Amino acid sequence: MFDEMSTCRVEMVLPTRIGYERIAMECSASFAKCWGTVAERIEDLKTAVAEACLNAMEHGNKGRPEARVVVTLDMVNGSIVVQVKDEGSGIPEIPPDPDIQKKIEELEPARGLGLFLIRHLMDQVEFNKFTEQGHVVRMVIRLENPQPVS
Amino acid sequence: MGDQNQIRVENRGGLSILDITGDVTSASEPFFSEAYKHPDVDGVGKIVLKFDEGAYINSGGIAVLIQLLAESRRTAQKVGITGLSEHFKKIFHMVGITRFADIYASMDEALQAME
Repeated sequence: MFDEMSTCRVEMVLPTRIGYERIAMECSASFAKCWGTVAERIEDLKTAVAEACLNAMEHGNKGRPEARVVVTLDMVNGSIVVQVKDEGSGIPEIPPDPDIQKKIEELEPARGLGLFLIRHLMDQVEFNKFTEQGHVVRMVIRLENPQPVS
Repeated sequence: MGDQNQIRVENRGGLSILDITGDVTSASEPFFSEAYKHPDVDGVGKIVLKFDEGAYINSGGIAVLIQLLAESRRTAQKVGITGLSEHFKKIFHMVGITRFADIYASMDEALQAME
């Protein structure tokens, strides 16, 4: 389904149901802990995974409960690679970084922070990757010294 | 699925504390809105938002907080924040919330600085 499949791949299939992003979040945290990831980066990963899943549910799958979000976690060359797939047609335009002043002055909507958080918390992000099954957001978090924890 | 919000309001003269239990997401909006309209908050000069350190706060929750900050700016209320984990302190700084609300390490520190 995705490229870069590793021997330690973890795959989750989630319904489009707000709140279930927490399942992916906790699973990602457990995966990262298995590779000795430091606590600060685990928190970064959790937030980015949650936001990517929320985007997939709200915008990609447009809230359709029958549509699925597929999350994979791989360890590739010392990095955790997370791919979040939805059944949508991608992100038409990557928004610029939010302007908090404008939000506070109500000149732009308060919402729309998810992609910003993903971009700033991950080491590498690719939006608008497409496979036969749908749209994928690919996120990478590089680990300094990944060691499998037994 | 997340922890249901509960916001307890405590008034200390010119300062009100909003003690927020549970996760902060877009579903928190009515809870924040109700708390903000509470007679002990309406018209008070200073507000301290106390979060659960283990709470899940997502972008929808941050948007709710931005709406509250927008409202407090209109009414010239000073807002302080406490109870955040190190991760969410970083996120709030990253988003720029710290330009409009000071973050304190503890409630005691918040009260000392704001009262």
